[in-house]
Amino acid sequence: MTIRHRSVLRAVAAAAAGLVALAACGGPAPGGGTGDGTVSGEITLLTPIFEGADGAAVLEEQIAAFQQQYPGVTVKPDYTDYGTLNEKLTASIAGGQPYDVMLMGIGWVPPFAAKGVLADLGKDPAELASRYYERTVEAGVHDGKVYALPIMLDTRIGIYRKDFFAEAGITEPPKSFAEMREYGRMLTQRAPDGTLTRAGLDVLGIDPRQAYETLLWAAGGELFTPDGKPAFNSPEGVAALQMMTDVIRVDRSEDIGFTMPNSPTGNVMAQGRAAMMVGHHHFWTEIEKAAPELIAEDKLGFFVITDQRPAVFQGGTLATVAAQSRNPAAATAFAEFLASEGPSLAANEQRGNIPALKSLESSEFVQKNKAIQFAMANLDHAYSEGGVPAWLEIRGKFKGAVESALLGEKSPQQALDDLAAEATAATG
Amino acid sequence: MTGVTAATATRTATRPAGPRPGGRRRRFGYERRRAAYLMLAPALVHLVWWIGIPTVATFVLALTHYDILAGTMTWAGLDNFVAVLSTPGWWAATWNTLVYTFFTVPVAMAIAVVIAVLLNTRLRARAWYRTAVFMPHITATVAIALVWMWMYEPNLGLLNWVLSWFGIRGPAWVADPAWAMTAVIVMSIWKGIGLKMVIYLAALQSIPHELYEAAEIDGASAVRRFLSVTLPMLGPATFFVFIVSLIDSFQVFEQFYVLTPQGGPANSTTVMTYEIYQSAFERFDMSTASAQSVVLFVFLLALTVIGRRLSGRDDVA
Repeated sequence: MTIRHRSVLRAVAAAAAGLVALAACGGPAPGGGTGDGTVSGEITLLTPIFEGADGAAVLEEQIAAFQQQYPGVTVKPDYTDYGTLNEKLTASIAGGQPYDVMLMGIGWVPPFAAKGVLADLGKDPAELASRYYERTVEAGVHDGKVYALPIMLDTRIGIYRKDFFAEAGITEPPKSFAEMREYGRMLTQRAPDGTLTRAGLDVLGIDPRQAYETLLWAAGGELFTPDGKPAFNSPEGVAALQMMTDVIRVDRSEDIGFTMPNSPTGNVMAQGRAAMMVGHHHFWTEIEKAAPELIAEDKLGFFVITDQRPAVFQGGTLATVAAQSRNPAAATAFAEFLASEGPSLAANEQRGNIPALKSLESSEFVQKNKAIQFAMANLDHAYSEGGVPAWLEIRGKFKGAVESALLGEKSPQQALDDLAAEATAATG
Repeated sequence: MTGVTAATATRTATRPAGPRPGGRRRRFGYERRRAAYLMLAPALVHLVWWIGIPTVATFVLALTHYDILAGTMTWAGLDNFVAVLSTPGWWAATWNTLVYTFFTVPVAMAIAVVIAVLLNTRLRARAWYRTAVFMPHITATVAIALVWMWMYEPNLGLLNWVLSWFGIRGPAWVADPAWAMTAVIVMSIWKGIGLKMVIYLAALQSIPHELYEAAEIDGASAVRRFLSVTLPMLGPATFFVFIVSLIDSFQVFEQFYVLTPQGGPANSTTVMTYEIYQSAFERFDMSTASAQSVVLFVFLLALTVIGRRLSGRDDVA
């Protein structure tokens, strides 16, 4: 067959028509605008919250509610947890297909925003602070721009069993590290053969990094200096790790392995295997399910961990939009939806966390949860991790450093100095 | 295949008459080659796409400073390799991998030989035993690790409960750095025995029975027959199992990741693959992860070459 100019054009036109037809079959084109001011298209969501079947059911309900407002938008969720959030993010970014909406923690936003991964949401921080708790708004701001909308916040506080305290003749929660250690020794119970049956003070029941940071702030220390240099190996930081180490190695108020974060065997406070702990306020929700009588009989108490100053560890979850989102309008609409009243309340109820929206303070869920009320009443003492762009590279190294001190492999000073050297190398 | 044959037949039938044997042979050879390439194509595409390109990309990334989040890449030369080889953490991970290999490979092989010999005798329900031993091999490692995590639980776990019958206070298996590596090794040996046992079983069944008869006539005891007949005859199988297990043990990941998350207590169970994972997915440092992967690749390549050389000598002998 002789190839003529006209036949080539015809073939190109046919191919173009075919491609257009294929594109039409494949769904709406990226961009999301329909011309009438509404948004449409498909967006992907990566979420470390809404875990398990219960969580997925809650999210599906919220997506259905969102689609009532935006019938043209399809949301495809991908579930993960905070332990594996990084690898999902990395894989999606490396593949050139980042999730349109990504939920992430406090401390994560600045590193991603600094690298241009997140979209500027174009919000006014001051306006957001009038509706959300200011600290959660700050966590989503980088260089004066809002990159994330807060959904929930969570805290690490002191938790104790009032009945065990009363049995030991202790009338009020500890007000210093010295009192924590003293009470821990008093409350510890061992079998005649030395087997630990009840930890007087549990410092291993949550992530070692978070437990250490809570004590660090209570000791008056900071993670980093204002110019981004490691500060956790200061005398205050060493005192905090020394306190944790002494609880295990000197006081023997707890044995290594007696408790662990997310233990498959359940909550130690609910089981009566710990009398006092550095814990997560959402243990209230866990205990409500595992041992509701403890809640009904008011056997659970809370205290702000205090030494040089009172300190509450505050984390949180925020909604972000990828800078490379193929459908930024729909993604932004969904991020805003997740941070609004209904979805935020549902997510917090499911996870037992504190709603970031001030208007939800009066909700029944918040009013009935004493742990949340306690945490909210003490947010003035809250401190959050992060603060340097290289935080995500550093945070994983804390566990090994803290554990090496707890196990006696290094002194607290040495463990923190080594960690500081690694952090300095990472921050450049 | 059928289509190609039919096409060839059609062409042969329509070809003009006349003897052209050389041309027919060449054409036939060409068509056979074409058919071979067509049949190989899916596998080749798969190999190039999933192994070839990622391997080349890994070498390229290892020689660059690649910021995955910012999407920037600059030439690094050998900087990443120097950084990897001068990091104490990498050497600690290498040491942990060697310890794991030292205990899993020979110990599991020895146990597998004994089990294979036992299951090669006339036992009742022999097939059931063989299946039971082989089952862990075909079960997902993550699922097995989760079950063992429960068994290792220090307060309510099965293992410490059994030990308590004998008045022994079991340790915090996966939380104590003195026991964490042991805990992973024990689980890995249990999981890895099945495949080794099957290979040994096949090798055992190929040993000529006359050798045992001759040994019996010479008055050899059962132990003597095992040492002087069975073990030497299992030589090639032992070598194969050794090399495969060795390479496998250097690539271990899942059981460490599940049983002793985040490198285990005080990083006591950090292995090479976990370091690579951490560099890539925790620290977003793809270049370092690639350099670490290349180092591991070279290590495994060296082992494989040594194995092939030794294997070649064995064949000649």
